Amino acid sequence: MPSSTTDHASRRVIGARAALIWGVIATVLVTVASVGVFLVAPEDADQGAIQRIFYFHVAIALVSLVAFAVACVAGILFLRTRKLRWDDVSVTAVRIGILFSVLVIITGSIWAKASWGTWWVWADPRLVTYLIVVLIYAAYFVLRSSVDDDRRLRFSAIYAIVGFVSVPLSFYSVRVAQSFVHPVVFTSGGANMPNSMLIWFLISLAAMLALFIALLEVELVGRRTERALRALTLRLESS
Amino acid sequence: MSTAVNRPRWTRQLAGLIRKDLRLELRTKETVVAMVLFAIVTLTIMQFGFGTRDDDLTRFTGGLMWVTLAFTAVLGVGRSYVAEREQRVLDGILVSPVPRIVLLAAKAIAIVIYMTITELVVIPVVGIFFVKGPYWDSIGWIALVALIANVCIALSGTLFSGLALFTRARDLILPVLFLPALVPVIIAGAGATHAVVGGPHDMSEYRGYCLFLVGYAILFLLVCIATYDAVFDD
Amino acid sequence: MTGGNQYVVAAYAVIWFLVLAYVVMLGARTARVGRQVEAITRMLDRKAAESDPPEGDDG
Repeated sequence: MPSSTTDHASRRVIGARAALIWGVIATVLVTVASVGVFLVAPEDADQGAIQRIFYFHVAIALVSLVAFAVACVAGILFLRTRKLRWDDVSVTAVRIGILFSVLVIITGSIWAKASWGTWWVWADPRLVTYLIVVLIYAAYFVLRSSVDDDRRLRFSAIYAIVGFVSVPLSFYSVRVAQSFVHPVVFTSGGANMPNSMLIWFLISLAAMLALFIALLEVELVGRRTERALRALTLRLESS
Repeated sequence: MSTAVNRPRWTRQLAGLIRKDLRLELRTKETVVAMVLFAIVTLTIMQFGFGTRDDDLTRFTGGLMWVTLAFTAVLGVGRSYVAEREQRVLDGILVSPVPRIVLLAAKAIAIVIYMTITELVVIPVVGIFFVKGPYWDSIGWIALVALIANVCIALSGTLFSGLALFTRARDLILPVLFLPALVPVIIAGAGATHAVVGGPHDMSEYRGYCLFLVGYAILFLLVCIATYDAVFDD
Repeated sequence: MTGGNQYVVAAYAVIWFLVLAYVVMLGARTARVGRQVEAITRMLDRKAAESDPPEGDDG
């Protein structure tokens, strides 16, 4: 522990430029995507207006998986290198992943209400899977807050890896169970989307990805700043 | 820690560790007796928990059985390091030259044994309590899926109880970590049971769930092998 | 134009609200860091005042 806290405390600790750049990119892309989704994209013939939820809903869903993948890879890198920056990346990615998964559940639930008249549909594998995913990753913070020091970082990394293994298992088990009981309810979009919709979906996807990276970078800057500040305080107190 | 261990020593260590656990359990019988009792109490609660006077829960057999087994598994897995914890044996084992993977394997095998003993009681009791209609001819299939699921429970359970062991409020942490990861096992176990009892009697469905459980076990085996060193690395 | 617009608006409002709330949370953390920096600055000022006699320094 003590070796890794101070090793990069000196030069160019904060490095806030990436956060700034990604913040600008995310803002622009999210604005463009919102305008496109609401004003430009054509109305869906079958589903009407509520199909517009799909653009951000599915984009956020995909990006939340990206976030958990990033957390897993960062966890592996942390266990390999024991560099604090990988723990930072891992915990931040999990946090944003949970935020995005919660958004997936809420928007999916609104969609369910709009199309089927109920807020929750157990037959919809996507809602159910994301509920399980949120439960899996919520436990990450329970675990993290109840271990100390060196072990906290190690266990967080292990759990980020285990969690990401559990995700496809939950995905698959829910789908298998569903396919025996009902046909999968909405795989909407997908291949049969006209190009005029596909382009806005792709822009939404890029926007959400940029939003994820921007939030990640901003929070990483925050964590690095806090750490640099702690190191500074320690130095001042000891001097 | 990964010293070159020749095979006979490896198996001897494993057998020794399992024997230690089982001998301790045989002397006190506290874990298995508690697990069986807990399972039966849970099954009884299930009947009333449904809030219906309907006597026929046959079509819920799979769910009743696997929800009960999952909670019982949390109980059993939570006990798996208890002897070491209470008697400070763990420190001794961790500094001893026994490879940690052997320690984990011993724990996993102990969990499989405890779960199997529990199921020897639970599976017949479920049949007696809840199933109206044919059950006993499918009991071999239920036993098979239970055995595969036990391996899954043991692998993920060993990993999570190893993590929970070092946390504050570990008895609270374990279910929160373990149950979400167990959801696929519950889905597959209940699905496979439903396929042969109270359901469509669809063997291809049953096979699908069993294969899924095998895949779950393999994935968690790989994760255990990849991460066990980091769990106990001090 | 079919119904369901209110659902679309609700969905996007939730997305915007939660993302904004997250950003506010990040901002609150930054504010905390800012307060700590101020505390350190005050501490340094006090130290400087204590160690230097009233004459102060010159150039």
